[in-house]
Amino acid sequence: MALQRVSFRLRQTVACARSIHTSGGRHLQEALAVEPERNPEPFSIFRTQESDPACQLENHVGQYYTLPPAHIQTVFPHGLPARFQLQMKTFNEGCVMVRPPALEVISYLKRADYSKPALRFLFYGVKGSGKTMSLCHTVHYCSTQGWLVVHIPDAHLWVKNCKELLPSSYNGSRFDQPLQATNWLRNFRVTNEQFLSKIQTRHRYVWTKREFTEEGRPLGELVDQGITRVKSSSDVVGAVIKELRLQSGQPGGCFRMAVAVDGLNALWGRSTIKKEDKSPVSIEELTLMHNLRKLVKNDWCGGAIITALSQTGSLYTPKTAYLPHVLLGEEGFDRMDPFVPVTVSNYSEKEFESCYLYYQDRQWLQHPQSRTEEGKKELVFMSNRNPSALERLCAFL
Amino acid sequence: MASYRGPKGGSLKYCHIFKMAASITGLLKPWTPRVILVRWSRYNPYYLEPEIQREAYSVPDTELTTEEKQQRELKELRPIKAATSGITSSVFSDPVLSKFINMIMKGGDKVLAKNIMTDTLEHVKRKQVEKYHKAPQGKREDIECNPYTIFHQALDNCKPVIGLASIQKGGKFYQVPIPLTDNRRRFLAMKWIITECRENRHRRTHLYEKLSQELLAAFGKEGNVIKKKHELHKMAESNRAYAHYRWW
Repeated sequence: MALQRVSFRLRQTVACARSIHTSGGRHLQEALAVEPERNPEPFSIFRTQESDPACQLENHVGQYYTLPPAHIQTVFPHGLPARFQLQMKTFNEGCVMVRPPALEVISYLKRADYSKPALRFLFYGVKGSGKTMSLCHTVHYCSTQGWLVVHIPDAHLWVKNCKELLPSSYNGSRFDQPLQATNWLRNFRVTNEQFLSKIQTRHRYVWTKREFTEEGRPLGELVDQGITRVKSSSDVVGAVIKELRLQSGQPGGCFRMAVAVDGLNALWGRSTIKKEDKSPVSIEELTLMHNLRKLVKNDWCGGAIITALSQTGSLYTPKTAYLPHVLLGEEGFDRMDPFVPVTVSNYSEKEFESCYLYYQDRQWLQHPQSRTEEGKKELVFMSNRNPSALERLCAFL
Repeated sequence: MASYRGPKGGSLKYCHIFKMAASITGLLKPWTPRVILVRWSRYNPYYLEPEIQREAYSVPDTELTTEEKQQRELKELRPIKAATSGITSSVFSDPVLSKFINMIMKGGDKVLAKNIMTDTLEHVKRKQVEKYHKAPQGKREDIECNPYTIFHQALDNCKPVIGLASIQKGGKFYQVPIPLTDNRRRFLAMKWIITECRENRHRRTHLYEKLSQELLAAFGKEGNVIKKKHELHKMAESNRAYAHYRWW
């Protein structure tokens, strides 16, 4: 019965649906034909059965695909936005919308030449337009293709509210952050379980007088060393990054590396961490940030660097700033140059319709007026089709 | 078009009950003003109320009755009061909810009060929708997911039917059962919910969590506010003998 109402309202999307059946719909039909034993789901205009990001095309734009629960636990122990995690818990499923920026980056990744230095992509857009979700969609693609994913969920978390700051044992002028590093290593281990035994170290690392890691040991041992010995975890992060950068582009190498950094502007911003004499710590003096800057530099091959800007968690930046040269600053922009900028804008009409129908289907729009035309017009007006504004509006309606 | 202001720039709300009470007790002398200030409204009665609903403006001239046409012509000539900032022409606005938000508000911080209320509604909805999605197909119709129906039903469940008034007779004060107006019942229900949430919970929980717990309990006819209402009813029942002390 929702289908009849849909056909009255969505003339444009019905026209698209017709083209689904003619040109790209063969994928949908093939998918349905391959698994005849499943109950044939009613054709819904806002969902797609294609849960593999590699097979998603332009005709899937605006449709929601379901993240398999096994993938959510392995690929995203720490990457998804907090409100999306709440939504996943409430709806008992994780559905991501297929949107043009993510599809664009995935198409570039499919056609890239991996013998050349790593390509850098940057998602930018106004607040709440979906940059982090596009990044997570791309990370899901890389993970399903069997790449090694180095995902830093929010670089801003490493430059503020640091409870423990230790002077680094490796370099006296730098500072370690053991808690953040251990946390990140734990999540890294969950994401890249299968690579930890395959990759061998190429150097010998000495941690203390009695602890060291020999050459040729599996990477898993290095990561375990960082998790168990919390004091040296920041240096372990640096060692892991160094090993991965050296080995990713090798001809005999067994993996491709995807580096995903959210909140890239933290790398060239300011931090609020203070030393004991109340003087501020610069970003250069933090070991984790120093190593992250080396990772994001494109002097290695055999992978890609996908990043997103974020004003929300950033320090000392105005609320209205969203453009790369404003948020990254001069130094950051020069270091990141050349990169492929990808705009993430607010929902288009079709995407908005899809989101509205999805919320209705999941029993999220409960107010009787929200199901009328007047209510929908008011939602469009109040949210300006901004994804996060719409989500917060619909939360209490 | 300059708006007409009354002679003093405002007008006073009248209260006839007070005038009656004053004349009864002999306080009303010829020089006492016959009208006494009760509320803060400073508008001259010449000013008309504003029309908030959008639907009233979309009715074309042909469909109006003669009275409505006269009313419209009057509105073109007379000055109109300014609408308060608490009311909207939004289709989602609810007068009962606005009253509740005003009662939560402290120190005039309406923004914070509204945010608390929206967080409460979201929290209630999240709990119910999570239950809905985890329930088997047969049990799904029983779960109420609409936070607005839950709020209204909980408020209705908390409204007392009969109240008590302290009446002095023969030097002693008796608790006399009296009927309550609709406004008083609604006010009492809201006041009890808010005070109970503020006082009887751990101080580190957010108000929206406390409110959502209490609203869900009241929806299911359990919880401290329902208990308080039942105790009031029992007191009124036990004091039936003094009901004739009421003279209105």
